[in-house]
Amino acid sequence: MSSKKWFALFVATVVVLGAGVLGFNWLVDPYGVFHHKTLSWPSYEMTLNPRAAKMTYIEDHHQEYDSYLLGCSSTSSFPVEALNEYLDADFYNMIMYGADMLDVEQEAVWLLENAEVKNLVINVYLDNAKDYDTLPDPALSYAMPPATTGENAAAFLAKYLFMDPRHSLDKLTAMAQDTYLTQTFDVFNTQTGAYDKIVRDAEPIGNMDEYLEAYPVFANYPQASNDIHEDAVTGTLDSLARIRDLCAEKGVNFLVLCAPVYADYMDYFDWDQVSDFYTRLAQVTPYWDFSYSSVSFEPRYFYDETHFRNCVGEMALARVFGDDSIYIPEDFGVYVTTDNVQEHVAKMAQAAPLAEEDYTAQVPVLMYHHLDQEGNDDIVITPQLFEEHMAALAQAGYTAVFPDELAAYVNEGKALPDKPVVITFDDGYLSNYEYAWPILQKYGMKATIFVIGSTMGDTEHYKDTDYPITPHFSAQQGAEMVASGVISLQSHTYDMHQWGPYEDTDQPRENILPLEGESEEDYRESLSADCQAIRQVLGETGEESVHVMAYPGGYFDTLSQVTLLENGFDITFTTQVGCNTLIKGHPQSLLGLHRYNMNQSVTVEQLLEWVSPARG
Amino acid sequence: MSFTSLPFLVLVGLSVAVYYLLPQRVQWMVLLAASMVFYCVGGGRTVLYVFYTAATVYVAGRLLGRYNDLRRAAPKEEKKAVTAKYKPYRRAVVLFACLANFVLLYVLKYWNFTADLLQPLADTLAPGSQIPLSELVLPLGISFFMFQSVGYVIDVYRDKYPPEKNFAKLLLFVSFFPQMVQGPISRFDQLEPQLLAGRKLDFTDLKYGIQLAMWGYFKKMVIADRAAVLVGNVLDEPWSHSGSVIAVGVLFYCIQLYGDFSGGIDITRGVARMFGIDLAENFRRPLYATSLTDFWRRWHITLGAWMRDYVFYPLSLSKPFGKLGKFTRKHVKGKLGKIIPTSLATFIIYFIIGIWHGANWRYVAFGFWNGAIITASLLLAPQFLKWKQALHINDKSLGWYLFQLARTNILVFFGRYITRAPRFLTAVWMVKETFLHPNLPDLYNGTLLTLGLTGSDFLILFAGVATMLGAEWYQEKRGHIRPMLERRSPFVQWLAILVPLAVLFCFGVLRADYISSDFIYKQF
Amino acid sequence: MKEQLLAILTEAVPGVDFETETALVDDEILESLDIVTIVSEIKDAFDVEISVDDLVPENFNTVDAMLALIEARKE
Repeated sequence: MSSKKWFALFVATVVVLGAGVLGFNWLVDPYGVFHHKTLSWPSYEMTLNPRAAKMTYIEDHHQEYDSYLLGCSSTSSFPVEALNEYLDADFYNMIMYGADMLDVEQEAVWLLENAEVKNLVINVYLDNAKDYDTLPDPALSYAMPPATTGENAAAFLAKYLFMDPRHSLDKLTAMAQDTYLTQTFDVFNTQTGAYDKIVRDAEPIGNMDEYLEAYPVFANYPQASNDIHEDAVTGTLDSLARIRDLCAEKGVNFLVLCAPVYADYMDYFDWDQVSDFYTRLAQVTPYWDFSYSSVSFEPRYFYDETHFRNCVGEMALARVFGDDSIYIPEDFGVYVTTDNVQEHVAKMAQAAPLAEEDYTAQVPVLMYHHLDQEGNDDIVITPQLFEEHMAALAQAGYTAVFPDELAAYVNEGKALPDKPVVITFDDGYLSNYEYAWPILQKYGMKATIFVIGSTMGDTEHYKDTDYPITPHFSAQQGAEMVASGVISLQSHTYDMHQWGPYEDTDQPRENILPLEGESEEDYRESLSADCQAIRQVLGETGEESVHVMAYPGGYFDTLSQVTLLENGFDITFTTQVGCNTLIKGHPQSLLGLHRYNMNQSVTVEQLLEWVSPARG
Repeated sequence: MSFTSLPFLVLVGLSVAVYYLLPQRVQWMVLLAASMVFYCVGGGRTVLYVFYTAATVYVAGRLLGRYNDLRRAAPKEEKKAVTAKYKPYRRAVVLFACLANFVLLYVLKYWNFTADLLQPLADTLAPGSQIPLSELVLPLGISFFMFQSVGYVIDVYRDKYPPEKNFAKLLLFVSFFPQMVQGPISRFDQLEPQLLAGRKLDFTDLKYGIQLAMWGYFKKMVIADRAAVLVGNVLDEPWSHSGSVIAVGVLFYCIQLYGDFSGGIDITRGVARMFGIDLAENFRRPLYATSLTDFWRRWHITLGAWMRDYVFYPLSLSKPFGKLGKFTRKHVKGKLGKIIPTSLATFIIYFIIGIWHGANWRYVAFGFWNGAIITASLLLAPQFLKWKQALHINDKSLGWYLFQLARTNILVFFGRYITRAPRFLTAVWMVKETFLHPNLPDLYNGTLLTLGLTGSDFLILFAGVATMLGAEWYQEKRGHIRPMLERRSPFVQWLAILVPLAVLFCFGVLRADYISSDFIYKQF
Repeated sequence: MKEQLLAILTEAVPGVDFETETALVDDEILESLDIVTIVSEIKDAFDVEISVDDLVPENFNTVDAMLALIEARKE
């Protein structure tokens, strides 16, 4: 081979290989910067670079939105759904992790000049006083798109064209691994722009000790270097002033929120600098300050040390828009102007946690099944012992409550009785109707029965089979009980608590977990259909709202819990043993509630000991 | 501008293209322009030092050239008188050029080291005084271009060749960009004619240049950069590792250093070759050195040659050394008496080579280490010869050869302890640990996999080093690799393009320290 | 003179056939150390002044070149 030929071959090989790599990066576009639809996956791209990918997304979808929420990652937890309702708007959450106020300004200017904007809401986090105009590593993830910075577009795109193609390969791998649930590579909800917290928001939360065990960071908060820098403060406030002026010029509603800061994180700031920052912020614009209050001291209100939970965001927005239908701690949220800033800052320094009993309750739950003359150590109790249980509870001053009352406590802050207890029955046996209902009435108690829809009214045979069955009450009988106001009928699934040996299938649904080999999609469809079915059946008995479920067998996983929440089941019971901690303003304290299993072996003394922690 | 950066490749590609498109008499200007771009991008304002060096040696060269001409033009009978007349001037000029450069080099590179040394003295003489430290930025490749330029002045002084009259052309010699970062230290009479010659496009130059550069990139990126990960993790904080891990770290450092330095030189020579320019060899398979002296003939050859021609010879033939020689020959019997001055000069040379590498006690010790061993082997050579005869060792046997290779490499290996340790005393401690607390299970219990490299990285590294040593073995014993390749079918030749490119890309360009995408936000 | 030179050479670097070798320096048969040793011997033996400028490979590649150098410096 001549040298000339060799050289030509070399150049051709380099060109082909190079073009292959660049083409691959362009085609797969893991950072969402090339504005083409092939292999588009906004949630993944936003995860890799929210700044670029969100703007790409808005360019294509700006007609669906008219309002924007801007700021660093803690901004995510101001729910756009609530904002939409309060302001009758269509918000998109533009949060960028690690955003400083320069990023926010650049993004705001771009939005105001390129999209129709009714409202612009900006979150000022204390970290904005620490850093301004920074580009953390990895740069590919933090780079602002050239449309906002005036940087050369070709140079910007070249970085993503010439990057390590493993980034692109990772996107393809992630595509293969993608699930319905949030994973590390797709943390954004494409439609709202917020972090997709379906997994974290489906996690049962209650007892503080368990919480600290799961999130040790709160138990022993690491030293943070929270130095406020004058140039960062100046930069942040100047940026904010420019956004304010541009909004005024364009007639855009401008709202500034200061996100809650976890108390231990706040401790590492210098308080004089903090108050100086908030004082000067008031000179730029009035703002709603949520940064430091009793909420800051409650780790269960936080995902981690710098991110408060969505439920806290709900409370914050309710305070801003004067919505008193939900619980809001009294000291949470102050509208700060130059007039009251001195007073506010002074008061903020005094922030302290609420007393446990002011915002948490202890609620024991009893789990009965069947009543029969012959009790056992499993799930059967005699009517006589059951009556003794009820009598003892009444005697000791306990008040039975419905799950709805727990929800009212948590969501609206409505008071519970002094000694609340929840009485439940699983499966829907006829004995509940025959024995329990009258006894409950007699002692002024009320109970929730978790009915299996498909066997309701089966008195002799299991469904259409010839197998014998313990009799179950009928819809008619259920309706009578509901009408009495003593009984609430709730879900034990329509048909996901099957008795395997009696079913004509290899894969009976004995609980709500996915079947082996079942696709995620099929599973979610089945569970949703089941939710519809039980709601339909129980609705016919006169039960107003079917939104409570006891997991068959106590089994559940993240996907089932997420799917149930999406279907409106926001109170769930397990078979785990223990008392429950309810937290005002924290709907997750209604998930995965523990219950004490009641049968013939449970003496009155035992019962009274179990329920003794009850506190309303 | 690093060799491994995209801008460098673009610069090379563009300048090669423009070079061959332009008429031959102006081609050198392309090289100069490319060199200025390279230096300005890489060194910024420190390019002024390049101009400074070029200016000093230009002026000195012109002056010396004029004296040389006068002497040559003088009639035969007056020659001696003329020579004598100008001798002081010539000496003054060459001294000026050397000092102008070396004093600056000293201030930039060695002043802070000296200041540290002198501070205790200053404290006693004038308590509370602080010797000012230099805050100047060390210019890119200063030790290389200054030595190369000073060599030029000395050669003109010795009348080896006439000086360059065109400043721009001399500036190109000083700043020729492929060799700016790590040499080689070229000689004016070898390099300058090639820089100025101008060439017709010859694809063989391109081919050989590209092949050599690819080989260099392979050594630098696949081998050295990978080994560097482990080296950094172990030797930046050696005290948290056991003796055997430290030894592995030093071994990897040897690999890294050789891969990086010789790879860089191959890239340099490859790029120069694309312009049709042959640069001096700087490495000749040092791993196959049979003695430490042989090692230094094969490692950083141009530095050794520079030291020989401009330091060792003048020193050895200087009057004081002549007197010393007479003295030792008179008072010390036999061969020993004759070689004492040479040995002393040798020791001094290695000492200088040591501190040439940097201003630090470690490099002083490194120079001492090499100088001491080589001098000792010189002085003890007759004794060794006797032992060898007594043991009936056959000089030509494979066993003896392998013994020599092992001995040399072990000496080099321990020398590297000194240069890579954070401090000199730490190096001593590291050697001690290696022998006293090796904790050998660390070599196979998985500890090695916690040092930043994965199992596959070790495999790649192993395969890379094996490839490198294999190729060098072939060159050492059989000869050039290219002709062997050129006899193969076009398909195989194409594979010899594709496979290296793919290897370079997959294991070099795609760095070992890649962080995958699902890192950023884990808190949801 | 040649015999005297050969004696010097053989003593400095034993085992080399100096009369047939034509590239003593280029082939690295003589190293810098040897050259310095040889030069100082030559200076003594023939009472000539050899300067650094003379230490180039061409002057030491062959015995004849060395002889020529000595002759030249004797003048």
